[in-house]
Amino acid sequence: MRWYHSLSLRLLFLFWVLLFAVASSGYLLALWFSKPIAPSPVPEAVQSSLAPLLSDVNTFRSLTPGRLLAGDYRVAASLAPSGQERLQLDRSLSASHRRLLLSQLEADKPQQIPIGNRMLIGPFKLDGYSLLVTRPITAEEREQQVVSEQQTQRVQTLALLIGSLAIAILLGAWLVMPLRRLTHATREIAKGSEKPELKRLPKRNDELGELARALATTAHDLAVSRDAQRRLLSDVSHELRSPLARMQVALMLSQDDDDGTDREQHLGQLGRDLERLSTIIERILSLSRLENGLVNLQTEAVDVRELVSQLVKDLGYVDPQHGQRLQVHDSDDWPVIDSDPELLRLVLENLIRNALQYTDDAIEISCQALPESYTVFVRDHGQGVPEDQLEQLFTPFYRADPSRNHKAGVGLGMALSLRAAAVLGGYVDARNHPDGGLEVAVTLTRST
Amino acid sequence: MSKLLLVDDDAELSSMLEQILTKEGFQLTLAADGEAGLERALSGSYDLILLDVMLPGIDGFQLLQRLRQQARNTPVLMLTARGDDDDRVAGLELGADDYLPKPFYPKELVARVKALLRRTPHTSVRPEKSEYAGFVIDPSQNEARCDDTQLDLTPTEFDILRTLVRAHGEVVSKDALSVAALGRSLAPFDRSLDVHISNIRKKLPTDPERIQTVRGRGYRIIQFA
Repeated sequence: MRWYHSLSLRLLFLFWVLLFAVASSGYLLALWFSKPIAPSPVPEAVQSSLAPLLSDVNTFRSLTPGRLLAGDYRVAASLAPSGQERLQLDRSLSASHRRLLLSQLEADKPQQIPIGNRMLIGPFKLDGYSLLVTRPITAEEREQQVVSEQQTQRVQTLALLIGSLAIAILLGAWLVMPLRRLTHATREIAKGSEKPELKRLPKRNDELGELARALATTAHDLAVSRDAQRRLLSDVSHELRSPLARMQVALMLSQDDDDGTDREQHLGQLGRDLERLSTIIERILSLSRLENGLVNLQTEAVDVRELVSQLVKDLGYVDPQHGQRLQVHDSDDWPVIDSDPELLRLVLENLIRNALQYTDDAIEISCQALPESYTVFVRDHGQGVPEDQLEQLFTPFYRADPSRNHKAGVGLGMALSLRAAAVLGGYVDARNHPDGGLEVAVTLTRST
Repeated sequence: MSKLLLVDDDAELSSMLEQILTKEGFQLTLAADGEAGLERALSGSYDLILLDVMLPGIDGFQLLQRLRQQARNTPVLMLTARGDDDDRVAGLELGADDYLPKPFYPKELVARVKALLRRTPHTSVRPEKSEYAGFVIDPSQNEARCDDTQLDLTPTEFDILRTLVRAHGEVVSKDALSVAALGRSLAPFDRSLDVHISNIRKKLPTDPERIQTVRGRGYRIIQFA
């Protein structure tokens, strides 16, 4: 976001513009509606009382601003056709009414206009000379002026009221409407909408646009995680129901088996499914513990080669054929690292078991140590996995082989390895080895 | 002897179910994946198909859809290990006759199979034509018409509509309909009958609301102007 997209700056600018607009509209409306103080023709009486003074050229020329005439008249300005001081203005008047004085001098015929508490009269012209005079304003004229001013004030008040209303409406449209839309969108998200209706809000460049975009992302993330949870629940339920279904049928068969010939077989089925059920439940719990950070790490110095050898020995003890298929690359540079041996064993055991279950040939376990990290590879010589399904290997209950081969695991091993490695501060990834077979790599950083 | 087809990839379960159903006097054919299941379902003449939802290749729903597209109205009983109700009802919407969630008591499975099979002779008991409000049901021809348009109904839908037409506008309770069409009472939260009714409504040429829901009591057919 650039500095000029900032909402505070925009608000400041908006307020400024609006206030300026209201003030100037008030001023303009006042000018428009108030009766302008228009010049009026000079009454005959004034003309005649001044006539004696203004008819003589010499007298006329000698009249300079400030000079008092008969009957409280005072000279305000004089304009000579030539000379050094062609234009002379009354100082006190020219300070505030210079423009008016000048325009009055240019007028075609004498007229009068109130300025302050005096009435400006003129121009009187004689022999190329022009002259303006002032006189005190009469009480009647004064009253007229007051009425006119009051009227101006009323118009100004009205204009301010209308203007502030306009501000409120504009602010509403500009600021409050987006907020209401955001509130509405938040409610939609709470109800489970993946794409709340935000209209054009996310396209805004300011803070509100940022909020709208964050909200849209959150809604999407929530929907994704909710879908994942729902799928997991559905999968868990499916995985638990299948062995239960078999157990129920096996139980009934063994009950109906009057002569007891197949009892052994039915009990064997029951036992297998019971074991499977408890494995699934135990693994789901482990997965949940790892995901929710409920595992206490017991870190100690771990000789990785020692750990792998022990693991191979244990697996071989359970099934000697499995033991023969496991080949550990002893010549590699196996590190001794600070880690949790139990968790590390869990990561590797699941990967190795997976390889044993899904392939029939040798499985190579090797290590590559780097200054910053080390990687343990578990590589099988099976058919590999289609490239587009490599990612999914780590999804709970995903099985690369879609037919339900019940000798294979419960479908949680890879997911468990991935989570456990993450808890240890590392990661697991899978790739198809260039020479065939699947290669799963566990990379952990060396703790310093 | 009734011929059944069981499509399920759980080999252990399938072989145990085979023992049970054979003992009950059914002739069972097994198929372990969707393709094989569909092929057998289309080629052979089965009295009932037991269909698992989760199958490698084409799944149970797709299999059912293709089966019904080929206008095969063989009764289908879905077996599903999925938990949620949506999944259960989805099968009925695609034209399954009934469903049984896993795990189930084998005796319950046998009872459902028998109930679905029992309908055929049950139908022949009273083969007389019945007519009401534009509907004509001819059980002897296995034919249902609405305003002279032939309706393509599954056996379950046929039985439900026949029961409603015979009632001549009287309300028929959901339970009675379930007994007539599925051979069993409704379980709590069982939406299967509602799904079948909704399927029939979709197949009517006009005015689906002529099969009226009477809240809390059941369904009836009303005269539509």
